[in-house]
Amino acid sequence: MKKISEVKVGDEFRLEKQVTKYMPILYAGAGGDFNPIHIDPDFGKLVGLGGNILQGLGTYAFASQACVDWAGSPKALKRLKVRFASPVRPGDTVIVTGKVVEIAGKRVKADIIAVNNKGETVLSNSVAEIELE
Amino acid sequence: MIDPKFIGKKYVASDSYDICRTKIKEYAMSVGDANPLYIDRKKAEASEFKRVVAPPTFAVVYGGELAGRLLLDPELKLNLPMLVHGEQDIEFFEVVGVGDEITSTGQIVEIYQKKNLDFISMAVECKNQQGKLVARSKFTFVIRGAK
Repeated sequence: MKKISEVKVGDEFRLEKQVTKYMPILYAGAGGDFNPIHIDPDFGKLVGLGGNILQGLGTYAFASQACVDWAGSPKALKRLKVRFASPVRPGDTVIVTGKVVEIAGKRVKADIIAVNNKGETVLSNSVAEIELE
Repeated sequence: MIDPKFIGKKYVASDSYDICRTKIKEYAMSVGDANPLYIDRKKAEASEFKRVVAPPTFAVVYGGELAGRLLLDPELKLNLPMLVHGEQDIEFFEVVGVGDEITSTGQIVEIYQKKNLDFISMAVECKNQQGKLVARSKFTFVIRGAK
């Protein structure tokens, strides 16, 4: 796990994810969210979403992975709060960026933002709390 | 508008969620996370955790039954086709892994309308077989086209 002494305010970390065509279906099976807006492109169009969209909690998992990979351990992540700003679609590339904004004791607060390859913000007003060694 | 009288309504999971290695792997692979602690039994058992552990966000799987119950609660009459996930907030207290048995309880904590959007939030507390709090979540859903 990363040491708190290695971290300073302003440090950034980043994770890039490819959202494959079938990821929403794989996530439905694994995570249990079979809402048709995620697995049925026709249904997604019918309700004005323009097609099927990835489960928000899939994008949430990307943000979590960005924090865990940076910190070096799943035990480091203490809190993750996100707002789903716009939908993520199959074929999108999602880029999660974390930026250290505060350090208190061994706890780091990082602002989290995620954008897709079309420049749309998909996670906004998001924050992670990470505890290091 | 969702009737705010439902704020405070409680939900209890029908049974414990028993964490198993294969489900963790399925979940991790579905979001493209190949951390060996989640998918490689030998490496995970050789780690400080001594077992395969779940990614933090697996909390939405073991606590997810209650979110499903909320959405399908006939009393609430939620317009599901117009519903999307608005916000997610989880505090993680313990790393959860193979063999843990998680019991979850939930409660509706917010119902409000903003412009043409309805909001409903549920808080979920998840405890392990020792009664220790492992995760506290808040799921917020948004329903478009509110009247």
